Amino acid sequence: MKRGLWILTAAALLLVGMTGCGREPKDLVNVVSREDGSGTRGAFVELLGIQGPDEQGEKIDQTTLEAVITNSTSVMLTLVAGDQNAVGYVSLGSLSEHVKALAIDGVPPTIQSVKGGTYPVARPFNIVTGDALIPLAQDFIRFILSGQGQAVVEANGYVSALEGQAFAPATPQPEGKLAVSGSSSVTPVMEKLAEAYGKQNPGATIEIQQSDSTTGINTVAEGISHIGMASRNLKESESQKGLKATVIALDGIAVIVHNDNPLTEITAEQAADLFRGSTLFWSQVQG
Amino acid sequence: MVKKKEAIMHVVILISTCVCIVAVLLICLFLLMSGVPAIAKIGPFRFFAGTVWRPDHEIFGILPMILGSLYVTAGAILVGVPIGVLTAIYMARFCPPALYRILHPAVSLLAGIPSVVYGFFGLMVLVPLTRNLFGGNGSSILTASLLLGIMILPTIISVSEASLRAVPQSYYEGSLAMGATHEESVFRAVVPAAKSGILSAVVLGIGRAVGETMAVVMVAGNQARLPTGVLRGVRTLTANIVLEMGYAADLHREALIATGVVLFVFILLTNLLFSLLKRGRKE
Repeated sequence: MKRGLWILTAAALLLVGMTGCGREPKDLVNVVSREDGSGTRGAFVELLGIQGPDEQGEKIDQTTLEAVITNSTSVMLTLVAGDQNAVGYVSLGSLSEHVKALAIDGVPPTIQSVKGGTYPVARPFNIVTGDALIPLAQDFIRFILSGQGQAVVEANGYVSALEGQAFAPATPQPEGKLAVSGSSSVTPVMEKLAEAYGKQNPGATIEIQQSDSTTGINTVAEGISHIGMASRNLKESESQKGLKATVIALDGIAVIVHNDNPLTEITAEQAADLFRGSTLFWSQVQG
Repeated sequence: MVKKKEAIMHVVILISTCVCIVAVLLICLFLLMSGVPAIAKIGPFRFFAGTVWRPDHEIFGILPMILGSLYVTAGAILVGVPIGVLTAIYMARFCPPALYRILHPAVSLLAGIPSVVYGFFGLMVLVPLTRNLFGGNGSSILTASLLLGIMILPTIISVSEASLRAVPQSYYEGSLAMGATHEESVFRAVVPAAKSGILSAVVLGIGRAVGETMAVVMVAGNQARLPTGVLRGVRTLTANIVLEMGYAADLHREALIATGVVLFVFILLTNLLFSLLKRGRKE
C-alpha cells in the first residue's frame, strides 16, 4: 500500500515538474555549438568575433552558456535539421541538404566564395614544416600540392588551395617513415592524402597522429614529427622558430538553420549576436 | 597426475582472479594519482562547489555537472522504477506462460542494445517528441531522464523479478487462505516481502544511470552551467569527460580525470549501498 502511494506521488511530482515549467516562447533561438577546444568552434568564434574581454581584459569565448553542446558534426546536423528554431555551424565539407546554410553579409558559403576569399568565415588548413626536410617529406608535400593531391582535397568536401600540376613520381622514390601530427580537423583529409600517396609510393610509411594545431606545430619545432597540421595560421612566436606554413586546403564554416527558417542571409554581426545569446528571438533578426 | 592437473588449474584460476583485481587496483591508482593532485591544485572547494567551468581560463568548477548527474539520475529513477517494478510484478505473478516466453527475451534484448543505439533513438525520436509536446529545444533533463528511464528498465525488471520469485510461495498461499484476492495477496504479501530485493534493483539502476555516457551526451544538451529547468539542458559528469577528453591537456586533462574520481566515488557509494541492502536481506 505504501509502495503504491509512493509511486503515485512520484508520478504526480513528475507531471507537476513537466507542466510547471510551462512552454518556452515560440521563436526562441536555440543555439547549438561545438565543445570547448574543438578546432571548428575556435575558428568560428574567432572569425565571427564571438569573443571579447573578460574582467581581467583577457579575450574569452563568449558563446552563450545556454547553447546545446555536441562533440559530433552529425549530432549537430540532426539537431538543427529537426528544430525550426535552431542555429548551428558546420564545416563546408559536412553540409547536407537537410539544413539550410545562411549567406553571410550577402555571400553564400560555396566552394567558389571560399576560394575567392569573399566568404568571411573561412580558415586555412596548413601544413607546418621546419627548415631541414627529409626527401620523403619533400616528395609528400609535392604530392599534396599537385593536381592529384588537390583532387583528393576537393573529393572530401574541402576547397583546394591551388591549381596543382600533375604529380610525377620521383626517381628513385624516397623511402622510409614520415611522422605527421596536429589538428583533428585536418587529420581526415591528411589520412586520405596519405592513402593516395601510398599508392604512388608504396615504400613510404606515413604515420598520422591526431592532436591539435598547437601540439602539432610544437612537435615540428622540437623535431619529433616532420610535418605538422594546423587549422589556423602560424603565430608570430611560432614563425620566429623558423617554421613555415603552407596552405594545403581551405575550409568554410557555414551557419546552418532549419530548412523552414524564412531567413536566407544574415550579417556577420547578427550571427555573432545569435551565438553570443544577445539576440534571443528570431523575430529580432531582420532578414 | 590428477594432483598435478589440479595444481595447474589452481594456478590458472588464481592468475585469472589476480588479473581482475589488478585491473581494479590499477584503475583506482590511476584515478587517485592523477585526479587527487589536480583537485588539490584547483582547490577542493573551488572544484566541488565552483559553478563555472571554463577550461580555456583554467576555471574548473564541477558543481553544475554533479547536480546534472543527480537530476538526470533522479529523473531516470522516477520514470524507470514504477514501470520496471510493475512489469516485474506482472511477469512474476500475473503473466500467462505463453506471454512470458515473449516478455522475458524482450527484456533481455532491451538490456543488450548498445547505448549508442539508445542515444540515436533518443536523438531521432525522444528529442523531437519532447520538443513538440513541451516546447524548448528538446535536448533537456526531461529527455535524458526518459531515455535513461528506459535504459535502466532491464536491470530493474530482472532483479525485482528474481526477488519476487524468491518470496516463499507460502506467503502468497497464506494470504489467499485468509480470504484475500490474488491481487491483494501479490501487492500486500509478496511485494512487501521482496522489498529489499526491489530496493537493490533501484540501487543497481541508479548505478547504471549515473555511469551512462554515450546516450546521455546525445540528448542532454550538455550546457556547463547550473541546471535551470526540466526542459533545459544539463551536462552530466560522464558527458563532461567524453566531450572534452579529446582536446584536453595539462591541468584541463587532470581536471577531467578528477571528474572521473567524483564519478568513481558515486559508483562506489551505490555499490556500497547495494551490498548493505543485500546483507540486510540475508539477516
